[in-house]
Amino acid sequence: MDIKIRIEDFSLHYSDGKESLRHITLDIYANQINVLFGPSGGGKSSLLRALNRLNDLTDVAVQEGRILLDGEDIAAPGYDVIRLRRRVGIVFARPVPLPMSIYRNVTYGLELAGIKDRAQWDAAVERSLKQAALWEEVSDRLDESGYALSGGQQQRLCLARALALQPEVVLLDEPTSGLDPISTSKIERTLQELKSEYTFVAVPHSVQQAARIADWATFFLQGELIEHGDGKTIFTTPQNSQTNEYITGRFG
Amino acid sequence: MLSRQTSQRIAFIVISLSALIVVAPILFIVGYIVVQGVGAISWEFLTGFPYNGMKSGGVWPAIVGTLWLTLGTAVVAVPVGVGAAIYLSEYAGDNQLTRAIRIAIINLAGIPSVVYGLFGLGLFVIFLNFGTSILAGSLTLGIMTLPVIISTAEEALRAVPQSFRLVSVSLGGTRWETIRRVVLPQALPGIITGIILGLERAAGETAPILFTVAAFFLPRLPHSIFDQTMALPYHLFVISTQVPGMPVRIQYGTALVLMFFVLSMNVLATLIRRHYRRQRVW
Ligand SMILES: Nc1ncnc2c1ncn2[C@@H]1O[C@H](COP(=O)(O)OP(=O)(O)O)[C@@H](O)[C@H]1O
Ligand SMILES: [Mg+2]
Repeated sequence: MDIKIRIEDFSLHYSDGKESLRHITLDIYANQINVLFGPSGGGKSSLLRALNRLNDLTDVAVQEGRILLDGEDIAAPGYDVIRLRRRVGIVFARPVPLPMSIYRNVTYGLELAGIKDRAQWDAAVERSLKQAALWEEVSDRLDESGYALSGGQQQRLCLARALALQPEVVLLDEPTSGLDPISTSKIERTLQELKSEYTFVAVPHSVQQAARIADWATFFLQGELIEHGDGKTIFTTPQNSQTNEYITGRFG
Repeated sequence: MLSRQTSQRIAFIVISLSALIVVAPILFIVGYIVVQGVGAISWEFLTGFPYNGMKSGGVWPAIVGTLWLTLGTAVVAVPVGVGAAIYLSEYAGDNQLTRAIRIAIINLAGIPSVVYGLFGLGLFVIFLNFGTSILAGSLTLGIMTLPVIISTAEEALRAVPQSFRLVSVSLGGTRWETIRRVVLPQALPGIITGIILGLERAAGETAPILFTVAAFFLPRLPHSIFDQTMALPYHLFVISTQVPGMPVRIQYGTALVLMFFVLSMNVLATLIRRHYRRQRVW
């Protein structure tokens, strides 16, 4: 299994003094669905945001350790975060289309990357909307506002928007938490189909979803990594009793 | 004890009355000015120079002067005001400095306009040697207008959901690209509304232009920003207090022109706001 991201002894404090991640060491495997799960407040979102340096926008006080993306320390001060964010995309829990057309939502990142060629845009729009399983529903109304779509479609638009930049890694923070079961399964199927091209790091919104999609799974509890392993083992025969309590629903 | 229905009815009457008390004076003032002044309005009044000791003729040079000053105020206040608002909302954190800036803005808004006039006289007219000029007047009015523009623009910028910024940055946008492509366009209607309301106030002010630009009477239009000019509010002041035997009709006609100018800016601001409110997705 190729390692895409190596997280080494990574700790993170917010400026209110709270230690949200404590000495995390974890490998993220290439072309796999790497799942982070555990009760809320465990630090999963904080870790995701560290992987594309979105924490730079929040009031993080101290960050220690290294995060190696293909061997390069992306947590290092002075690292080119703009280029990083093009390589590591993210989809948030709540779908947030930008206040522009469906088409421009998808091309937004390309425009920022300096791509101005209309034909390239057209190709990227079609490719990424197809990848996100949205093309058939919107191909005849690309000029409509992103907000004309249903919630499930909006979230697939957000996925397409991230995919348009052809990132190497896609982070997903509870991407289906507000969606109906049909939209949810569309997105889950999409991830399975795309993992040969991308590396996914996903925080599912439920243990069931975690068990369904995980190739690899890591259990987080209050800022600590409790257990890490392949999905099947973690969700059938976890070694740690806290992991076991959590996945069997006996967790307080 | 009153029955619930009776007390409900009494509350309704009291509330309606207070609304009426607010609206009535406005209607009365506007109505009175229209009735008294509409007879003075004519093509000659709107496009002619005053003559015969200002007892005849029109207000054209004052209209032109007020347009100049409004434009000058915008040139001074809009870039600085919007820039400061962007700084406060998008760049500055919540620290001692920004808190000091905010307090300064609030206090600037509370300074009487005549004090701005004196300040403009001291700094622009005398110290910087711009003389009584459109330049000095616009700078004075511009500074006076800054607090309104800064605070409304900052409010409009802050109303743009944080999630848009996060999305833009996550797609490889710099802070500035995010502001320019997403935040500013969304905040623009609110910013424009604030600008118009600020300019509207500036257009109607007398005290700040009194010592810095306004002329009692000029037989020609201004040629450059270094010229003095007549202006509607000051002209109204002059013909109401400084010229004996002035026909009341002309005074109210002038007031009507000024009021029309200011109210139409207000209506414009309201229309812009309404138009964009309807289009807004968030
Ligand atoms: N922007 C922030 N500022 C301060 N504390 C935060 C911030 N974001 C998260 N936290 C804190 O960090 C801890 C981990 O949160 P988070 O990463 O959101 O966990 P999870 O995604 O597992 O629910 C929580 O205690 C939370 O209160
Ligand atoms: Mg979270």
